[in-house]
Amino acid sequence: MPAAILVPLQMLLLVALAPAWNGVVGAIKARLQMRRGLPVFQRYRDLAKLGGKETVLSEDASPLARVTPYLVLGAALTVCTWTPVLTTQPGLGFAGDLVMTVALLAVMRVLLALLALEAGTTFGGMAASRHLALSALAEPALMLAVFTLAIAARSTDLSRISAAVAATPDAWISPSHLLALTAMWIVVISETGRVPVDNPVTHLELTMIHEGLVLDVSGHHLALLEWAAAIRQMLLLTLVANLFLPWGIAVEPTPVALLIALGAWVGKLAVFAVVVAVTESVTAKMRLFRVPEFLGMAFLLALLALTSDSLLRG
Amino acid sequence: MVLAGLESALLAGSVWGLGAAFLLPAIAALTPTAPAVLRHAVPRALAATACALAAVLGGVQLAGSSGALLAWWPGLPGEPFSLGADALSAPFVLLFGLVGAASFAAHAPSGSPAGAAARLALHAGFALCLLCVFLSRHALLFLLCWEGMTLLSAALVAHDLRSARGRTATYVYLALSHVGAAFIAYALVTLASHAGSFQFGALADSFSRLEPHARESLAWCFTIGFSVKLGLVPAHVWLPLAHPEAPAPVSAMLSGVMVKAGLYGLLRFAWQMPGAPPEQWGTVLLVLGVASALTGALYAAVESDAKKLLACSTIKHAGVLALATGLAALLAANGQREIAGVALAGALYHAVGHGLAKALAFLSVGEAVHAAGTRHLESLGGLARRMPRASFGVLVSTLALCGLPPFSCFAGEWLVFQALILGFSAGAGQLRLLAPFAGAGLALAGALAVAALVKLYGIGFLGRPRTEAAAAAHDAAPGAAAAILTLAALPFAWGIGAPLLAGALAAPLAVLLPGFEAAQLSEHAGFVLVPAGLQSSAIAPAIAALLIGFFALAARVWLRARRGGAPDVRIAPSWSCGMRLDSRMQYSSLGFTKPLRLIFEPVLRGEREVEVLEEGSPYFARKYRYRSGLPEFVENTLVAPFVQTVLWTSEQVRRLQTGSLHLYLAYLLATVVGLLLWAR
Repeated sequence: MPAAILVPLQMLLLVALAPAWNGVVGAIKARLQMRRGLPVFQRYRDLAKLGGKETVLSEDASPLARVTPYLVLGAALTVCTWTPVLTTQPGLGFAGDLVMTVALLAVMRVLLALLALEAGTTFGGMAASRHLALSALAEPALMLAVFTLAIAARSTDLSRISAAVAATPDAWISPSHLLALTAMWIVVISETGRVPVDNPVTHLELTMIHEGLVLDVSGHHLALLEWAAAIRQMLLLTLVANLFLPWGIAVEPTPVALLIALGAWVGKLAVFAVVVAVTESVTAKMRLFRVPEFLGMAFLLALLALTSDSLLRG
Repeated sequence: MVLAGLESALLAGSVWGLGAAFLLPAIAALTPTAPAVLRHAVPRALAATACALAAVLGGVQLAGSSGALLAWWPGLPGEPFSLGADALSAPFVLLFGLVGAASFAAHAPSGSPAGAAARLALHAGFALCLLCVFLSRHALLFLLCWEGMTLLSAALVAHDLRSARGRTATYVYLALSHVGAAFIAYALVTLASHAGSFQFGALADSFSRLEPHARESLAWCFTIGFSVKLGLVPAHVWLPLAHPEAPAPVSAMLSGVMVKAGLYGLLRFAWQMPGAPPEQWGTVLLVLGVASALTGALYAAVESDAKKLLACSTIKHAGVLALATGLAALLAANGQREIAGVALAGALYHAVGHGLAKALAFLSVGEAVHAAGTRHLESLGGLARRMPRASFGVLVSTLALCGLPPFSCFAGEWLVFQALILGFSAGAGQLRLLAPFAGAGLALAGALAVAALVKLYGIGFLGRPRTEAAAAAHDAAPGAAAAILTLAALPFAWGIGAPLLAGALAAPLAVLLPGFEAAQLSEHAGFVLVPAGLQSSAIAPAIAALLIGFFALAARVWLRARRGGAPDVRIAPSWSCGMRLDSRMQYSSLGFTKPLRLIFEPVLRGEREVEVLEEGSPYFARKYRYRSGLPEFVENTLVAPFVQTVLWTSEQVRRLQTGSLHLYLAYLLATVVGLLLWAR
């Protein structure tokens, strides 16, 4: 199948399924807690409702606030064009690699933090401050964790890394791979704002980070940002699924292989959803200033993964 | 032939133009009858034009050098003083020209007419010396220009001697610069005495023929001297003191260009002349680079003074430059010339990319600081709506300095990351142990820099004004605004044009690493940047930028169609839980980075003092005095003990000097007796 079909197909999967994942996690959590919970597809209805509403902007906001939501969504969609979802055939891999991916995620983060400061209210500043401080630890950990794989693949191209890990089935037993995977998982938990770092279902000012960033945003701008956040979460989960655990991914994009890959990808996402739902049900949120230790651990694990790689492969 | 003629004309035009811009206001200020236009407008236009010519000269030189020289006899015995751009100096001359033109265009007269003329004269003189540092082909001329650059910029740093801060800054700057200059002068003069000539060509010949021990010790002298100018730890302390004190257009040149003179010196005298440097040199630079990047980024994150924050960010980027250079040396020493070329291309590309972004940052922040009357972020805010043009400059430079695509600093850092990963995979010697830490340091420094710069724009320019002066701020004057908007296009162009422009660094890279083909850095008609010859990864900043724009636009069009032309956005007051919104309810700059200060407390060791001045009730005191500060770690652990020792020693020596004539006569006698005994 040519790239002209594969790239839009993979993008469509990421973009369309992104809001569903949160719905699935919510449904599993509700089951675990003996509640009925929201329907899985409620998030789509929320987005559609918000998308039809006008946006109220603060009179203190600069012109940047009018374009930020579009740019944030644009950056998220751009990363989707080269992320391997079903196949390791490079899509627009020449346009962006791992470093570009991390940098575009940082673009989203910077734009969101600036947006939060536009209205001149306290919550925005608080959330932006916390968000940047935690990301300052999470981003390097993310980079180092994936560098461990990049070094083995001698490339920072996402498709190549995925293909290289898929080609060596016993690679995951190596200590460096496991350490990097652990670090990566901690980063994903933190970057997507999940327990124990943040709680996506509360609006309690003492705890919130990610919700606080968009507290002053409303209407269709909020819909864009919520969707972008869901896509970003999907991207990070897909990186874990297809770089660290790439089994089932189609090396040759034949229809059968693609179907298997689709099943494998959805299955991995479902497993992640269960893991997250169980974690969120049995652990409490950490105190804010314990989180840096948690993230620092991820950073050290990732560094250890890299150095152990150098020592063991000598 | 035509090219050579053009080059000589550009060379002469830029040098003489700056010379005239230096002398004209100085003379006009001394002659009261001179028309006012000669004091400022004419020399300023001259200087800006001369800088633009220098930029063209740098570009022409990158395209293909013919080696035109401008030579004259200074009246000294020996050889003529000669100036001329070559392949290695071309990127630096280009950067100088672009930044210089914007800097002079934004230079506005202030204060008394004579003072304004003097400042312009100093600015032009400083620019002339800086340009000649890059162009000198004669060791003595190089030293003169180096010293002139330091002294004239120190005079500009000292333009406000009434403030104790300004005096301290000038003193520390002069003292540290002269320690560096002493090392450079010693090494250059020693080299010249070996070569029997002051010309760079002869120096290079004799340098590479020296025995290894002498060669390395001279190269280390150069390295120490130039790393002071580059602002590497532990010699970085002058940067956050001196750069903010100068007027904004001068700060732009100090941080944007002068710091790069340190890199130029390292590459010229510790790499090109003696030949590829040894492995330890690379290791030391790499380690210092990581330390500087982390120190700069961390102190930038916790800094509340807008210009000081930018100066700290310069230390971070200087660290990245040193890291890249050291990495290239390590790789080259291990025979990995291809990857070394990638690292070195990253260093050169980043040098220009950072210079453009930092100059833009200083110019536009300078306008805001001028309008609001303070450099302190706690007293700014809300400027994005009041000064849209200056704020646009700050926004672009913020994004660029964060290292975000598609702006200028991203491509250079990308090349450095590629070199780190490929060098590690290639298993080059010590690099297997150093690379993970270098990568971790670089990533951490990058993330901290993001926090710092978001604070600069978010606290300083967004939200509500925190003071009346900030609320009444007016946008930059048309001249300065034009300079800022023009300069703002450059970091973007340098970012998206990376694949094409990195190939243009072929000439300087070939000088340092013969045989390295920089043209291989770009593929697909200059849209895709790849690590040369190793087609393992690729980025296309232009395409990524296009995609972002396309998707953003598509989302906009789709939403608009879906909403069927209903009103898009309504403007309303900010909501603050039903209370009247006060600008003091916003997060302050100090509060914004409190989490970072807590996380990095073991390193920063902040000081905090709360004093209750007036008790109201047991729970609510009426008046507080709150003081917090961050002691400079390096200053306290390295510099302070040294200063203490010097002071203690001089205290002891002072005991000998009691002022009593008899005692001095006794010293004389003792010395004579001692000398007699010794000579016997």
